[in-house]
Amino acid sequence: MTWLSSGFMSDVFLGITNGVLYGLIALSLVIVWRSTSILNFAQGAMAMFAAYVGMTMSSHGLNFWACFAIAIAAGFALGGLTERVLVRPLYKRPEINSIVVMVGFLGLLESAAAAIWSTAPRTLESPFSQIYFQHHGSTILLSPFALFQIIAALVIMTAVGAIFRYTNLGLQLRAAALAPEVARLLGVRVNRLLTFGWMLSSAAGVVAAVVISSSGSIGLSPTIMDGFFVFGFIAAAVGGLESPLGAVVAGLMIGLVQQFLQDYAPSGISSFAPVIILVVALMIRPQGLFSTTKARRV
Amino acid sequence: MISVSQLSVSFGAIHALTGVSFDAANGKITAILGANGAGKTTLLRTITGLEEAASGDITLDGESLLKKRTEDIARAGVGHVPEGRGVIAEFTVLENLRLGSLAAKVNFQEGIAEQFELFPVLGERRHQHAATLSGGERQMLAMARALIAKPTVLLLDEPSLGLAPLVTAEMMATISELCAKQNLTVLLVEQNAKSALKVAHDAVVLHLGKVVASASAQEVAGDERLRQYYLGLAEQ
Amino acid sequence: MSKLTTFSDARPTTTRFIKATVATILVALIAGYVLTPSTDIYIATAAAMAVSVMGLSILTGFSGQVSIGNAGFMAIGAYTTAIWANHHEHFPIVLSLVGSMAVGALGGIALGLPATRLRGPYLAGMTLAFGYVMTPFIQSLGSWTGGSGGLYFPVLVTPTWFTSLVGESENLIGANARYQAVLSVLVAGIALFFAANLSNSRVGRAMRLVRDDDVAAELVGVNLAQTRVTAFAASAALAALGGSLLALVAGAATSSTYGVALSIELLSLLVLGGMGSISGAIIAGILAAYTDLIMTKINSLTGIDPFSNLGANMKGIIFGVVLITMMLAAPRGLVGLATTLAAKARRLRSGAN
Repeated sequence: MTWLSSGFMSDVFLGITNGVLYGLIALSLVIVWRSTSILNFAQGAMAMFAAYVGMTMSSHGLNFWACFAIAIAAGFALGGLTERVLVRPLYKRPEINSIVVMVGFLGLLESAAAAIWSTAPRTLESPFSQIYFQHHGSTILLSPFALFQIIAALVIMTAVGAIFRYTNLGLQLRAAALAPEVARLLGVRVNRLLTFGWMLSSAAGVVAAVVISSSGSIGLSPTIMDGFFVFGFIAAAVGGLESPLGAVVAGLMIGLVQQFLQDYAPSGISSFAPVIILVVALMIRPQGLFSTTKARRV
Repeated sequence: MISVSQLSVSFGAIHALTGVSFDAANGKITAILGANGAGKTTLLRTITGLEEAASGDITLDGESLLKKRTEDIARAGVGHVPEGRGVIAEFTVLENLRLGSLAAKVNFQEGIAEQFELFPVLGERRHQHAATLSGGERQMLAMARALIAKPTVLLLDEPSLGLAPLVTAEMMATISELCAKQNLTVLLVEQNAKSALKVAHDAVVLHLGKVVASASAQEVAGDERLRQYYLGLAEQ
Repeated sequence: MSKLTTFSDARPTTTRFIKATVATILVALIAGYVLTPSTDIYIATAAAMAVSVMGLSILTGFSGQVSIGNAGFMAIGAYTTAIWANHHEHFPIVLSLVGSMAVGALGGIALGLPATRLRGPYLAGMTLAFGYVMTPFIQSLGSWTGGSGGLYFPVLVTPTWFTSLVGESENLIGANARYQAVLSVLVAGIALFFAANLSNSRVGRAMRLVRDDDVAAELVGVNLAQTRVTAFAASAALAALGGSLLALVAGAATSSTYGVALSIELLSLLVLGGMGSISGAIIAGILAAYTDLIMTKINSLTGIDPFSNLGANMKGIIFGVVLITMMLAAPRGLVGLATTLAAKARRLRSGAN
């Protein structure tokens, strides 16, 4: 038995594998929060819906990667459509209106998905094995699929970060979020960018949903993203809704905390973990752990 | 030429501008003067579509701007340095300039070279965050960011606000130079009537949303009644 | 646009409210005589849901804090009642309901205390997290709660005085159903009376002040934290009461009933009825009770197989669409919409004269 298969490392591996998904969802919440000050409660459901669209294609004989690409394209489309139709009328309304509308959209998408694809979980076949690695006769709780999951999430996070930091589009997106009026005075088409921000956010979330639907132990069902969304939201809140880096780091932390609680705490407490983590974190720093109003940069 | 005719703007029951008319000639500096609350800022904001006109019209070279969106007005060559400068504090000097250059599709390297020649201090601070700049440097950055897009019209909202008198004088000299060299049409909103009238060709005096005088800068500067009641300037 | 336009401020006078309560009870009693035992179940359900929606209305309508987890408080009430019923065979029903409310209020305070430091979407997200974890939490306490199978308890036994009062029913089931309907409507009437009084009280005004402008509220001496926690406690107590009544109707508490979906449904019903409005809560309760019946009608009218995926999920789809369109088009709910339309009609008529 090596240290890699110790109980501690097993928890670390499982925690990170889940944590990257929380980080991805948190990141996608942060993108729209920064630009439109709306917390997208339907974010998980939108990702679920787009993942179903991609999965439907696999029954038409398309391979995993093609389905993946179609799901992401559906995510882009759904994000853009949502911003144009549902979100745009909300910008000048009280906050409570946007919360209720997004919650309504969450309910609508979950019911619609159940109506179209039923509630029975389905799995998208991935080319990655889910059998754990063996090392000197002991099991390491990492599989090729888990590695794919971690790498895919990290690639998307890096790509989103790079778009924001290094491209002209990212510069305009940041400007539109920080100072929309000034951006418009400089000829930036802010409305289009807000739509694009929602598209990008939605597509990033879809990556998490596709990974979840390829995971044999879970599979895709209409309400599958509820739990992931809750943890993703907590990561975003703990990291500070303004901070993309904070969201990602907090996602990983929460994955680890959840895993350790599950192993070492009584089941009553571990099932209550999301609320406890959120409450404790916000008691320590109500504005989030990584966000200061002075230095809010990507 | 920017032509404003019978322009009225109101916020609810408050009439910010009532029947304002004047022309700003091409290649000249037109100063918009008046006390706090006279409607100067509202006038500039209506020109670039940030406020909605209740009636009247604003045209740029004969074409109405009222139905256009702010970003399209900017793309049509109207640069607007807003009240408080609107420099994005979280961005570096270079990022602010790059943002200004994107919509106009100008060559960024040539653009910054020009601006750094005009405002050498910005070149020195190019990698600093705008938050670390002084008031005068921020004003320069805001102007450079507007100029890099090669506008034909430049709207300046209180560029002297919060600046030391010496810096203000320098700023006004730069504006005058720019106007002459690049044939720029400038609308200069100022509370500091004295410095504005030194460089302006024409002047419009607003009082409680109405035009009380529209003439050459010289005439306005020479009118004792205007100086005393509307511009807060002592007798000559 | 003013913040105030989102809400309808229901400030009924006490006498007007007593009249309304008496009327509700009379209607329920008369309806109970005229209609069949199955209608009694609808009435009991409507009363329970009206109380639950009123609970959310106190939190969201009065104090402006959106909750996507009030079904969690309903679960607390349902399980408190179920556990009590299993341990005390001949339990006094009123005590059981009061006990549920107390436990619910404690839960509300526990969640409300940290919530005082949060606002808007953060707060809503926290209530979502709470609502989401309640199901697994309850299931993890298997020895108490019966795990995922739910907790069943002996059916509410109709007292003999009631049977003699309403006249001997043909069967016991009928008498039981009638007893539950009357009990639920009475309890709901008292609960809504409490809510109306709360709305009129100093605390209720403080809540609305906090909702509309917390800075101004603090300036005039309102204790923000205390007001918010009070709203949570009152909201949770009513939700728990609603959950208890529902459990009594079903004779069981099942954790999966009280999931996120029910919380969303509560929010839909609240928006439909109108936030902060007593009559809105009653309308919402009746709508909730008859939802399944309405869905059956819709399915038969459109020819959709109720057992198909579409038929089974029609309810969720319609609720989602309603929630979105109401919030975008008529944020003050059906009552608000009717008031607006009536005012318009009056203006038209007076204009014509």
